[in-house]
Amino acid sequence: MTRVWYILAGSLFLSVSAAPALVPAAQPPGESQVAALLLPSPNVDALRALGPGVLPVLASLYERSDETRRTSIAWTLYSLGWRSEEAKRVLMRDVHTDDTNLRLQVQWALGRVSNDPDVVETLVDNMRNDGNPLFRDKAACALANDQIHLTEDQKLRLYQRLIDALSDERLQVREIALKALQIQTGQTKNFDPAGPLQAREAALQEWTRWLDTYRSHL
Amino acid sequence: MARHLPLAPLATGALAAVLTLAASPSTGAAEAPIPPAASSTLVTYSFDDDTLAAGPDTFAVFEKAKGRVHLSSAFRYSGYRSVEIRDVAGDGNFPELQGYFPLRDSGTLYAHFALLVADPGEQLNVALAGPEWFSMKKGGIAFWLQTRGGWLCQYSDSIPMRLIQVRPFAWYLVDLAYDVTAGTYDLAISEEGRSDPIVALKTQPNAFNEPGSPVDKFSFIGDNGHDTSNVDYFVDDIVLTVDRPIPMAPFVAPGRRKLFFDTWSDGLTSLSSKPSCLPAIDLADFGLGADAIEALKGDGLLPVLEDLIDGRPARISDRGSPASVRALQSVLLWKGGCGALLSGDADTALERFSKAKELLPGGTLFETSAVLSLAALGRWNEADVRLAGLHAAWKDDPRLPLLLATIGLARSDLDSAEQPLRASAARVADDPRLECALVALSKNLDLPLVDRVRARYPADWRSCLDAALLPEEYYHVLLARRSYSDAGRYAARMASRLASMNLPTAPWVEKIGDAAFLEKDYARALARYQESAGRGRPGAALMLKLSDVHHLLGDVEKERSYREAIYGSLHEERDHPPDRNLKEGTDADHP
Repeated sequence: MTRVWYILAGSLFLSVSAAPALVPAAQPPGESQVAALLLPSPNVDALRALGPGVLPVLASLYERSDETRRTSIAWTLYSLGWRSEEAKRVLMRDVHTDDTNLRLQVQWALGRVSNDPDVVETLVDNMRNDGNPLFRDKAACALANDQIHLTEDQKLRLYQRLIDALSDERLQVREIALKALQIQTGQTKNFDPAGPLQAREAALQEWTRWLDTYRSHL
Repeated sequence: MARHLPLAPLATGALAAVLTLAASPSTGAAEAPIPPAASSTLVTYSFDDDTLAAGPDTFAVFEKAKGRVHLSSAFRYSGYRSVEIRDVAGDGNFPELQGYFPLRDSGTLYAHFALLVADPGEQLNVALAGPEWFSMKKGGIAFWLQTRGGWLCQYSDSIPMRLIQVRPFAWYLVDLAYDVTAGTYDLAISEEGRSDPIVALKTQPNAFNEPGSPVDKFSFIGDNGHDTSNVDYFVDDIVLTVDRPIPMAPFVAPGRRKLFFDTWSDGLTSLSSKPSCLPAIDLADFGLGADAIEALKGDGLLPVLEDLIDGRPARISDRGSPASVRALQSVLLWKGGCGALLSGDADTALERFSKAKELLPGGTLFETSAVLSLAALGRWNEADVRLAGLHAAWKDDPRLPLLLATIGLARSDLDSAEQPLRASAARVADDPRLECALVALSKNLDLPLVDRVRARYPADWRSCLDAALLPEEYYHVLLARRSYSDAGRYAARMASRLASMNLPTAPWVEKIGDAAFLEKDYARALARYQESAGRGRPGAALMLKLSDVHHLLGDVEKERSYREAIYGSLHEERDHPPDRNLKEGTDADHP
């Protein structure tokens, strides 16, 4: 039996109060213990069992690792989905890296370790301005699916940024921004990213009106 | 529903479509057809009487972890009982009361229920949804209420909107009038003891502002996936009605309007030795999703589509969106292909089905029809590979046995020359050199398995696949010819052959039971079903068959036990079963 309600976990009703609960604090794990659990591939269940004390250790290991292991740790942080200032700090250093695997994992992980405004801003910037279309696309994916700790106000700002991106000059940016909005809201408001400018502007007005309504209900 | 039962395609698609037709006699129980009665009441539960049978046509109860869904007399709006839904944070699951009713894709649906929340600070969710389950798209959630931070909110136009601050332990009466076509609803909420409604909203966009979003189920849960809710709330007096009465087939057993094999029996009448198209029972057969249907509606072309499917004269103009015109053209091609196939021109039929599939790639019925054309042409290698792909896609579709039987008949017209197919099928059962076929046959046949067989037996994977498909086709041909004894004996040989190679036998043991069931030898069917269930984790279909056979044997308790193993039950807390695990093998250790 599939738990179809679960696909709504990333929906508009998500709020800080609904963020994954932190597990009770435990004895901080040792670095060697955590490092051992990252090999040969991360044992997320075992790391989760150690509690949030693993987060600063993972961040510390991240800072001293090569790109391959940083990629693996970023994936681990993504999988844990726990907020962590240390994790956000180290991940942000690689948010513009040219290493494809590392970049993707970092972009996906950021929203799962932090709801700081600069995370969304940076991902939006990558979505709109990165020179690599793959990185732009995956930044949009992260904005669509992985901003799991946002408050309602922060959600509103995310929607604002995505709606702004519907006016981007590049077709791909308009397409991926719309996709992110559709995943977040279930709607397109008939915005056709490849449509004529006049039609796009009309649909954009629909989105703007929707955003105003959304704001009025906060 | 929050959980998608394996039989969902039956419940929401095929079976729902069949239910709208005149009811046929039940396989075993009914002696004469009972015509459906028109009714405007789809659902009514006051939770006071003893007719609360869970099932595919009523409701399901999910209590997978610590959460509970119980009948309770602690609070009730009317009568002496309500349903209490209690979630437990961090237990890895959520409790749910999920109800089913005939699909409504037009008209107005009226929903009424009473709600009392012990702690409004905890989250609960109430929804009406359609064939796309609880997703954020057309056919998904149409109406959604949620408590958050002490507020009752509606989710309209993808926006959570606060409605009222909920008082603990106060009954609220919720009345909804959902205009399916417009995709809007009127919502009124009253508080017990107050005469005026405290919420009176008109023409609200549905949850995701999707006009035409159909509905066929409702759900009451705790939180929607974060596992943070400790909500405890009560629901009473659920009533769903429609503006225009619709045919409602009678219940033939608790919780269901058809037994498992009734759908199979319904399809037998159209079976012949000459391949012909299988009936369409859902627009999804043509790859038409809710968006496409809505576009057709918007273009005023839905009646044209219905005419095409039903074989009535229809003209496709070029008015309408390109997607709508493409949809009509593909169905027209399919219909033309069916005509060609029926008249013996399988080449033309195949060409038309292929073109139809190009226009609407998601239409499984186009692929099915193409496979039937290939069978008619005797192009077995191609037919087998493509049939293997359909095998997985149509796993729960009641037309799969008909497809297999039709293809089996095409291999050899049993009316005149049964021997070739019989001999080949017998060889698979007995010839030790056909190991690859048996390996393929003993698992769930799908395209990845075909790839594995191809890798393992590169020299003769085609003949292997051909041989692997033969036994099922032969078996279904025998069933279609109502040669149930022969089918049972053949299934027994297959099971024996697989057992001698230490390969899984459960599917063929189940087939022995199916043959016995159709022979109305319910005691033997029961024994084989139990044996099959004991050899692996039984699927929902087998559990339903076990429930059916117990029903026909008059064992009320075991009928209920198996049905409730799938759909749960409504009971009072003191009657909560200690374990609802499905790992039973026999009745003795079944919950």
